[in-house]
Amino acid sequence: MWRVCLISLCVVMKLWAEEGERVYAGTALEKSRPPQLETDEAPTIDRAINNASRMPVLKLLRGAHGFRPKIGSPVLSSGPAGGIEYRVGDPWDGQVLLRTSGRISVRRYIHTDAELALPRLAGGRIFVDALATYRDYPQLRYFGQGQNSGRSNESNFRLKSSKVELSSGIRPVRIFRLGLTGGYERADTLAGTSSEYPSIELQFPPRTVPGFALRNEFATTGAFAEVDYTDQKTSPRRGGIYSARLNNYVDQNFGRYSFRRLDVDLRQFVQFFNEQRVIALRAHGTFSDTSRGLVPFFLQPTLGGPETLRGFRNFRFYDNNAMFFNAEYRWKVSTGMEMALFTDAGKVFPDRRDINLSGLLTSYGGGVRFNLRQSVFMRVDTGCGREGCQVWLRFQDNY
Amino acid sequence: MASVSRQLLTLALLLAPCWLAAEPDSSPSKLVSVGKIQPQAVSEFKEFFGNTFGHQGERHSEDETIPAKGVLPDGEVPDSAWYVNRHAKQRMSRSELQRGPGNSTPPSESGHWTIISAKTEGITPGFVIVDTAGRKFLIKFDPYDFPELASGADVVSSKFFHALGYYVPENYIVNFDATKLVLKQGSQAALAPRQLKKALARLRKGKDGRIRAMASKFLDGEPVGPFLFHGRRADDPNDQIPHEHRRELRGLYLFSAWLNHTDAKSGNSLDMVVTEGGIRHVRHHLIDFGATLGSATHEAKSARQGHEHLIEFRPSLIQIATLGAYVPKWARVQHSKSPAVGAFEAEAFDPAKWKPNYPNPAFENRLPEDLSWASSKIAAFTDSDIAAIVETGQYSDPQAAAWITKNLILRRDKILAQYATAAVRRKSMPTAAGR
Repeated sequence: MWRVCLISLCVVMKLWAEEGERVYAGTALEKSRPPQLETDEAPTIDRAINNASRMPVLKLLRGAHGFRPKIGSPVLSSGPAGGIEYRVGDPWDGQVLLRTSGRISVRRYIHTDAELALPRLAGGRIFVDALATYRDYPQLRYFGQGQNSGRSNESNFRLKSSKVELSSGIRPVRIFRLGLTGGYERADTLAGTSSEYPSIELQFPPRTVPGFALRNEFATTGAFAEVDYTDQKTSPRRGGIYSARLNNYVDQNFGRYSFRRLDVDLRQFVQFFNEQRVIALRAHGTFSDTSRGLVPFFLQPTLGGPETLRGFRNFRFYDNNAMFFNAEYRWKVSTGMEMALFTDAGKVFPDRRDINLSGLLTSYGGGVRFNLRQSVFMRVDTGCGREGCQVWLRFQDNY
Repeated sequence: MASVSRQLLTLALLLAPCWLAAEPDSSPSKLVSVGKIQPQAVSEFKEFFGNTFGHQGERHSEDETIPAKGVLPDGEVPDSAWYVNRHAKQRMSRSELQRGPGNSTPPSESGHWTIISAKTEGITPGFVIVDTAGRKFLIKFDPYDFPELASGADVVSSKFFHALGYYVPENYIVNFDATKLVLKQGSQAALAPRQLKKALARLRKGKDGRIRAMASKFLDGEPVGPFLFHGRRADDPNDQIPHEHRRELRGLYLFSAWLNHTDAKSGNSLDMVVTEGGIRHVRHHLIDFGATLGSATHEAKSARQGHEHLIEFRPSLIQIATLGAYVPKWARVQHSKSPAVGAFEAEAFDPAKWKPNYPNPAFENRLPEDLSWASSKIAAFTDSDIAAIVETGQYSDPQAAAWITKNLILRRDKILAQYATAAVRRKSMPTAAGR
């Protein structure tokens, strides 16, 4: 029975996850088309799912006329969210992506965005992307600054933010991208709306929370570089992704919150036993240069949650700098299902000169992942650390 | 007179078992003309779940095994609308093996190919074209990262299945310039020019700028949908034997194992109403061999395919319980590095344990006699026969063709060692060393 449920879930997830296939055909000829042509390109399980997804009710979930459902949490801890997305259909032969979407979660997190992208200019060697985002997240968690913050100090705050960002770059070869970014962000931090936890100002003196209760406005500029030689875009089994991003935040209102940030992310995948086993490694660091000012707390890197330290709650640790390491051993159980054992380690720290491996927080655990076309579409991870165990349900791969 | 009577009686007694054993069948001599045959559709979803979680068709019980029906006393399958004894009955020449069901009507070299319908999305596009001679073909392309993989497998396996005795479509490797494809004009156009351009842009081009594809000629006759691997077609008076008890379908297990046809299912079959010798009847075809050998059509096969069903409880439980410490043999063997080959090998291959993507009722009913029959057909293929057929895949990398040939030979030998009767082995072995 559980397998039936699993496949049913696959059907729904597939509808959400991808556009699926459409058949263009001349009407008269199409109607007389012999069943010989029904042999399409997908493997059996996909074909079964494809066929199921042609059911009228399920077709609605796939969307039409550019509109389609947008499912998924905009941010960790927002709770399940849903909304709608509109895509302008295939302008300029697919050279342009123009879309907008809006989502609201059960906890009233609101996320809207609009994007104009030219991903394949000059034969794919140049890309441009413009993104405007509005966020209203009313119950984001905050436990205090630093690694020694107490779990019992959990509070919440509201973040309302509007941001526009333009990025552009070149891809001289298939595996390498280099680009520049620029943008503007306005962010208001307010009292949280959660009834479960006190609002941030009730738990922490405002002076200990940099940037709280202010209208912060930033101009941002940055650069990034990425090398990606993995075998597939999602859920890779071999290869590596190495990226670095440098951003400069210039405070437009107070002059106190200007800083620079460097994000470095290194991922390596090693397969063996005919891709039935994968070792996945990740090292990530976010380092802030605070020589010109403070880092507002809502822009500080955080640790804790399904993407960083899985034995700790979402946003458990805040500080100016953070680094974490993940190691996973993944093994395929069957077609469409794999399991993993993992360990995470990381820490946050106030001064970037404190980079070292002492005092790392650790967590460990295991999980199960479900794949379609070799990409993870759902995972359940259980991570344990010094503060107990956490169970995570996510609809994307970890890294 | 008494002597003649005795002789006739003796003759009758000798022939009686033959008539008693051979049940009503669709062999050409016994075919009756059919009336209106309703096209039938097979729900792939239903077939997948029905066979994975249930049992379809009549199965053996603990008390009784059901032997294959419609076979001759010597265990042979009579020629019929399902099956024709070919290579094993009378050796086909090298050119006949390579010709398969026909190789004289590829898409016309001259003029354009007009696209009349298309699938442009998904992993690889596919077109239905009409050439200048008015012939209709399905054009399928290789996955971008695996050039020659699916097209090669489709053509090679169609030749094997034809020589083994099945009805299959004419499949061709074609190389053409993108400008050869034109869209059907008018309001009923298959797709917009920009969609065609976009679809073609996603295809890998050869060094000469041309595109390689597999062209499958539309079958003659009137299509009436796939056949099931269980039950009978109610509106076909010639279809008297439950399919799960047909030796040619039970034995198809071993042929599929040999060629790694993991997608052997109803969806990859097609019944056509044809008229032969003035008799209108249903002919049963196997189609779509893109998921044979090391190809999974849209990518290389997983090493797991052929060794486990897509959903199978026991192996999954072992993997969970051992935290992946148990590594099956198929995960440890070496595969070819060539993208044109995919996951195709013989070291971990065990003909008795080979599995299609999901259970097939006729395969599940296979008995030793069915497999022995099938192995006698496979025994007919010498090393040079196999090499000759692999050549039709037109692999640009000689090592790819050599790998496929070598592993087909090794798989054949494993099959013969396990299932061939002593007589068949004696017959095939003298030439085995040097054949």
